[in-house]
Amino acid sequence: MTHLEIIDLHKDFSGLHVISGVSLKIAPGERHAVIGPNGAGKSTLFNLISGRYRPNKGRILFKGEDITGWSPLKINRRGLARSFQITNIFKNMTVLQNIENAILARKGMQFKMFRLLKNMPEVPDEARSIMETISVAEHADAPAGELSYGLQRALEIGIALATGPNLLLLDEPTAGMTKEETREAVTLIEKITEGKTLIIIEHDMDVVFSLADQITVLNYGEILASGTPQDIKNNPDVKRAYLGNKICF
Amino acid sequence: MGASLLITQAMHGVVYGMLLFLVSAGLTLVFGMMGVLNIAHTAFYMLGAYLAFSVAVWTGSFWLALLVVPICVGLVGAVVERFFLRKVHVHGHGYELMLTYGIFFALGEVVKMIWGTFPLAVRVPDILAGSIPFFGNAYPVYRLFILFISLLVLAGLALLLMRTRIGIIIRGAVFDAEMVDILGQNVPLVFLGVFSIGSALAGLAGVAAAPFLTTYPGMGLDIMIDCFVVIVIGGLGSLGGALLASLMIGELQSFGVVFIPDLALVLEFLLMVFILAVRPQGLFGEKG
Amino acid sequence: MKNNKLIYLAIGFVVLVLLAVFPFILPKLQLNIVIEIAFFSLFVLSYTLLLGYGGLLSFGHAAFFGIGGYLTAIIIRSFPGVHLLLVILISAAAAALAAFWVGFFCVRRSGTYFALLTLAFNQFFFAVALKWSSVTGGDDGLGIKLGDMYLPFVGNIHMHSTTNMYYLVMAVVVLCMVGCWFLLKTPFGNTVAAVKDNEDRAWFIGYNVLRTKLTLFTISGLIAGIAGSLFVLFEEFVSLGCINLVMSTQVLFMAFIGGTGSFFGPILGSAVYIYFTEWISGITENWEFFLGVLFILLIMYAHRGLIGIIGFVVDRFRTSE
Repeated sequence: MTHLEIIDLHKDFSGLHVISGVSLKIAPGERHAVIGPNGAGKSTLFNLISGRYRPNKGRILFKGEDITGWSPLKINRRGLARSFQITNIFKNMTVLQNIENAILARKGMQFKMFRLLKNMPEVPDEARSIMETISVAEHADAPAGELSYGLQRALEIGIALATGPNLLLLDEPTAGMTKEETREAVTLIEKITEGKTLIIIEHDMDVVFSLADQITVLNYGEILASGTPQDIKNNPDVKRAYLGNKICF
Repeated sequence: MGASLLITQAMHGVVYGMLLFLVSAGLTLVFGMMGVLNIAHTAFYMLGAYLAFSVAVWTGSFWLALLVVPICVGLVGAVVERFFLRKVHVHGHGYELMLTYGIFFALGEVVKMIWGTFPLAVRVPDILAGSIPFFGNAYPVYRLFILFISLLVLAGLALLLMRTRIGIIIRGAVFDAEMVDILGQNVPLVFLGVFSIGSALAGLAGVAAAPFLTTYPGMGLDIMIDCFVVIVIGGLGSLGGALLASLMIGELQSFGVVFIPDLALVLEFLLMVFILAVRPQGLFGEKG
Repeated sequence: MKNNKLIYLAIGFVVLVLLAVFPFILPKLQLNIVIEIAFFSLFVLSYTLLLGYGGLLSFGHAAFFGIGGYLTAIIIRSFPGVHLLLVILISAAAAALAAFWVGFFCVRRSGTYFALLTLAFNQFFFAVALKWSSVTGGDDGLGIKLGDMYLPFVGNIHMHSTTNMYYLVMAVVVLCMVGCWFLLKTPFGNTVAAVKDNEDRAWFIGYNVLRTKLTLFTISGLIAGIAGSLFVLFEEFVSLGCINLVMSTQVLFMAFIGGTGSFFGPILGSAVYIYFTEWISGITENWEFFLGVLFILLIMYAHRGLIGIIGFVVDRFRTSE
């Protein structure tokens, strides 16, 4: 059974076609990379799947359920979480609180008014274990906005992770990272997506080829090619689309 | 209820509607362009009315007031934008809003200090007094004058925005100020200009309204709600929306006062709530 | 850390003791001012919850203060035997209901639109209070006569006395403030902070942002209603001044003067506002003008209010050591 199925998805913005008929099936446990030149519509695709935008045409099925047009809130509750290309953390709250926010929501505690947070030690406990996983534990009490870029990117993923998803959408998680940071990020991503399904947007081909089981190439809002890394490497259309880019296989 | 009475009421609605448009035009342009809702805007309107009173009393000429007062109010607006609003811009829209609120409040007090709290009578110039026959009734000339002035301004605005280079820059800035800045235009100057013109228009509306509505310290607040409703219904930054909404509110007030005096305010208010529920960006506004 | 907690508790204890003995050490005039500061602090606190903690700027908060006040007067006049605590409760519930209704329409719009809408709704309630004069007294307002209030173990308390009114107001205000203090330390308090910090991300991690704002707005309205009720019990009178734009402006000024970023800003703000306006209105007739100027200066040069200034001075003091 497919984990996520996208059926003939279309999205226009004031007449500009950003996604033109994208269909995709993703199996549980799969690690699927979405690549393509800038402006191909990758982030828009994520925005459509995660509920920020409503598609003009087409459907999105998550675990067989039609989630087309659902709010981000509802989709997240079902087990789909995303991280953002431009860091979207709670800048004025501590790192610990950033993670706790997600945990509290996952546990359905957002509106509890008759218990004190300090009497709920299970929340910071779980938060700490997640912080350990993403290696930000030593900055637990620092305001998130003061963290270095690399740590903020880790927190970015950590927040999505803390919502307890079974499908994780990561939007350019290694953007702006050094080679060293990227290597660490890949190790982290492998660790946290064990037993989960991953869809990752990436420009760094090393990352793509070390992580992905399946790759989809997007170009001008359409799927140019989709298949195993081998298929994509040998695909002449893909090579042509990338001509002129610094990306080479 | 004869047809001629209905037509007269409808005419009243158009006149008040156009006056409302004069005041709202500047407000919606500034809001659409700078993201600031200038609460002090209707205080400029009030200032215009009071200055008109004084100029008319000193010089005996209403026409002079009509010419000079909008310029003065425009200057006041320029000072407010350049020396107050711009400083607070960094703190965000909330503070800008509070600042304009504070200025509205302070200007209201200044007016009370200088002119007192009792309503003032501004005389209509003789040539505009009296009425002319209109569909079986006698219609006040002064109201037609207000209509005339408003239509003149509307035409002028349309010309400015649609046919001149400055107009294109202004329209561009309403749509996306950052882009216009990147394209090399002097956006702070454009802001200052639009703010000043908007204030001047409010002042002009004040002069026109002075003999027509009562000139008293609460007049800014009275028209403020109507203006806000107009902007919400018409959509931010949309002059066309402001025009349509102004006429709607004008007619609503006009007929409401006659048929359902106690409920007129409630009805206007319900209309705003309805529009917000059904089409939150207003009739012509952009989403979001 | 433990030391800090002890210090806070000690300060709290001292404050409570002081509050308890004020009626015996302060002259009646001063006591009246303290009572005023008390319920206005509560009103401002309700406003600070919305603005400082929730990030929502409202220009129409007097609506709920006024509804609480009017309900109190109406109930006491129409049903004289009702226990005062019940009256306060019912008034608060009415204010909360109104806040829920208003909030339902307002919270779905952001920032400036939100502020505009709250202003419009305030004008609506003002219009109702003005026109429905058979119920609200219109321009004339409504006067009330306070009888006795029965409390178990204490008996009948004569509520027309300043001292007894002081204790009632203080008890309610302290209770509400303590409640708010703890509310901010619950998961809901955290939700409010998260939504204020990054509304967008909050949606994506499972927060219903609209429901959060609406809940906060309703709670804020409820507390404003309690403050309004206390106002009317103290003044023994309700009028349009409780529900008009002037009152909405006043709470904004008070909140701002104190500083909206702190829990104690409201107390500081209302105290300073009340003493300042008492003082300055004795000097000049145009004191409202100076108030406006003060407000403008604060926005431009000290936008975190007095708490901010105090914080700034304390920081400077610390770094110079």
